[in-house]
Amino acid sequence: MESIAVEMRDITKIFGHKAANDHVNFTLRRGTIHGLLGENGAGKTTLMNILYGLYKPEGGDIFLKGERVDIQSPEKAISLGIGMVHQHFMLANPLTVTENIMAGNFRKRQILLRKDQFRREVLELAERYKMKVDPDSYIWQNSVGEQQRIEILSVLFQDIDILILDEPTAVLTPSETDELFITLRELVDDGKSIVMITHKLDEILQVADEVTVLRDGKNVGCRKIDETVTKRDLSSMMIGYDIDLDLQSTHECTGDCIALSVKDLTVKNDKGLIALDHISFDIKEGEILGLAGVDGNGQKELCEALTGLRPVEAGQIYVKGDDFTGKNSKDFINAGVSFVPEDRRDVGLALDWNIANNLIIKEYGTDAFSSRGLLLRNKIKSHAKEMIERFDIRAIGEDALVKDLSGGNQQKVILARELNGLPSVLIANQPTRGVDINATMNIRREIIESSNNGTAVLLVSADLEEIIQVSDRIAVIYDGKIMGILPGRSSVAEIGPLMLGERMQRHDETASA
Amino acid sequence: MMKRRLRSSISTTWQTAVIVVAALLLGALFIAFAGESPLECYGVMLEGALGSMSRISEIMIKMVPLMIMALGVSIAFRAKLWNIGAEGQMIVGAITSAVVGLYIPLPPWLHMIIAPIFGMIGGALWAMIAGWLRVRFNANEVITTMMLNYVALYLLAYMVYGPMQEPGGYNYPQSSSMAESIQLTPLGAGLRVNTSVFVAIGVLILIILFWRSRFGFTVDLLGHGTKITNYAGLNANRTIIWTMMLSGALSGLVGWIEVYGVHFRLLEGIGAGFGDLAVVITLLGKMSPIGILFASFFISALLVGGATMQRMTAIPYSIVDIIQGLVIVLLITQPMIQQKLQARKARGIYVE
Repeated sequence: MESIAVEMRDITKIFGHKAANDHVNFTLRRGTIHGLLGENGAGKTTLMNILYGLYKPEGGDIFLKGERVDIQSPEKAISLGIGMVHQHFMLANPLTVTENIMAGNFRKRQILLRKDQFRREVLELAERYKMKVDPDSYIWQNSVGEQQRIEILSVLFQDIDILILDEPTAVLTPSETDELFITLRELVDDGKSIVMITHKLDEILQVADEVTVLRDGKNVGCRKIDETVTKRDLSSMMIGYDIDLDLQSTHECTGDCIALSVKDLTVKNDKGLIALDHISFDIKEGEILGLAGVDGNGQKELCEALTGLRPVEAGQIYVKGDDFTGKNSKDFINAGVSFVPEDRRDVGLALDWNIANNLIIKEYGTDAFSSRGLLLRNKIKSHAKEMIERFDIRAIGEDALVKDLSGGNQQKVILARELNGLPSVLIANQPTRGVDINATMNIRREIIESSNNGTAVLLVSADLEEIIQVSDRIAVIYDGKIMGILPGRSSVAEIGPLMLGERMQRHDETASA
Repeated sequence: MMKRRLRSSISTTWQTAVIVVAALLLGALFIAFAGESPLECYGVMLEGALGSMSRISEIMIKMVPLMIMALGVSIAFRAKLWNIGAEGQMIVGAITSAVVGLYIPLPPWLHMIIAPIFGMIGGALWAMIAGWLRVRFNANEVITTMMLNYVALYLLAYMVYGPMQEPGGYNYPQSSSMAESIQLTPLGAGLRVNTSVFVAIGVLILIILFWRSRFGFTVDLLGHGTKITNYAGLNANRTIIWTMMLSGALSGLVGWIEVYGVHFRLLEGIGAGFGDLAVVITLLGKMSPIGILFASFFISALLVGGATMQRMTAIPYSIVDIIQGLVIVLLITQPMIQQKLQARKARGIYVE
């Protein structure tokens, strides 16, 4: 009994008319890292929010060291030694690291705040778990990875035994992820127990001692991680059947015709600061250029500039050899430049509209869907039916509102619209973010398929695995500059340093590979 | 498709009907509370509204401008542009169309074409100001259209006390009357209702077609956000401006109808609170042309019936205001009630 830190029995949580957790059992052993694996919407975060006292379950019991406990609030959870780091950090930007940690912990301290004492304790704690933190820096001066470290430190400050991390690596670069895992190991060696929520199979294999897999709100199994466990085992547990994880782009670059060419492009962001600083690259017909990089290094601005949605400060954009610098979004659309935007809920889709209308927002003025100004409802409807069939959009029909679809199906609606009619260029920004593994594979397959048909693709992704899997060449962006262009199938070790701003040597030679 | 379209328009019309009935039922409570008989009160109202040709004519006189204005307001509302300045746009339309009749000598047939066009241009330009402020300075159109109502009111006052005042009149705040040859013709002897009814029918048909055209689609698309509008290859700013102008043009047209069909001159108070009523009608009609047709009939009948009731019985006119208020309260609470009902219904139906 002593070795079990937490046991959750028969937990049921219902949201509206759907069981997010359906009689789930979960056991966390002392001194282990326990992966909680599942697709989006499988109920991982819900289960942990129950343990942290944020949600009240409809049924089930929680046992802490063998004793039944009732956790009504996060305060109670913390007093029982349970801490949680959410996906979205709860740090105050204008304060320093020490001040933030004080703000989260002053309740149990003296009335008079002793900042120097706090500062010392923060340093001690950070050193103990090998975390590099500058206690006097302001939050905004820290990178996302550092902020996460601060958040973890702040939680550890509350003398917790059990640490819950919700998708901790989603915002990290590969090397930051490695550092995080080192810290997690230190914590476990110190006797703490960790639950790590994730949907990334690699991470489970890399760091977890045990894994519990959730599917549709149910526990589908728990396994010890050893050499015999493979990614395929985990993925089939996660989605219920086998899928092919080794997606290969099999196309050959037909012709040497350059479909999209960017020369010395400079673009400003919404704040008027330089977001892209003289970047240049070419994409050939039928080629997929992956753009790797940590979020917020100019990817969004690049995509907008390449689709006529953001003004160009300097440099040129050529589509199939024609100068498109300064053209508007309509011109780009007419030239066959398709765009899958990063923000599908706000930019790419009208959520309160049905699928049929969403599919034609770029084309409703053409002869295909209107005649003498009036819309041809029957054609719009049959087009929607065709697209739903072809792209396997799961919905009750073409009249279904897009907001009622799952993230993956929403993304399929966008892809159906953007890939229909063979675009000459496809700009895809984070096409699989927040999408479950099955839909992810389908989306990647569609992108490869379109490149096989001659579309030049710019694939922007923060997911290195995706970039490596799909791209013919890989460009790395950092702080608005291209750090280098690598051949396809480069390793994480080659790409990682560039993502952190180390400029590649001889990048001219490789660029033309 | 046709069936489904019919079903969806029935369901919105049905919602409108439920709200109307609920408002009347709740209104009955208030009437009983005031010590009167609700049945008698509504009986007098109904009689007062529909009891004779001349009363129906009075309903038409109210309904024509209210429906056209509400159709205009609905264009802006469906683009999520909250144009509540219909009254100001109507007033400016009244002024510009009156200018034609008063100062520009034209053959009557040509005049009948030019005056409404001037009215529409006046309303469109007035609404365009708010659209431009929104595009250029991101100024909230709720505020600007409301403020422009006051500007229009004072512009009207200036005109009818100043340059456009009837020469040799008794200093009333009004212009000279329009020549009979350019007035709208009554539909029958002794009736006030005039040929503007045909204008209203024409506008209704045009707006129904509008929502089935690609221009209507563009307006609906804008209603889903400027980001997606730009993304779809349209210029959201330009769309905002022409949507506002179209919305204002219909109110401006009403200005022409009021000047040439009801008052036969420009006068202070020509707006008569139509702007606020048009917003209520737009929302009650769920922004659909057919819904607006019914909603404008209901509100007009309420106004005319209430006025008769006040004249014939001791029941105060405030009952009309209470019912109108109830309609607004019900409109606001309806989405919440509907959500609750739907959540109950939807249990167990989940499509992944």
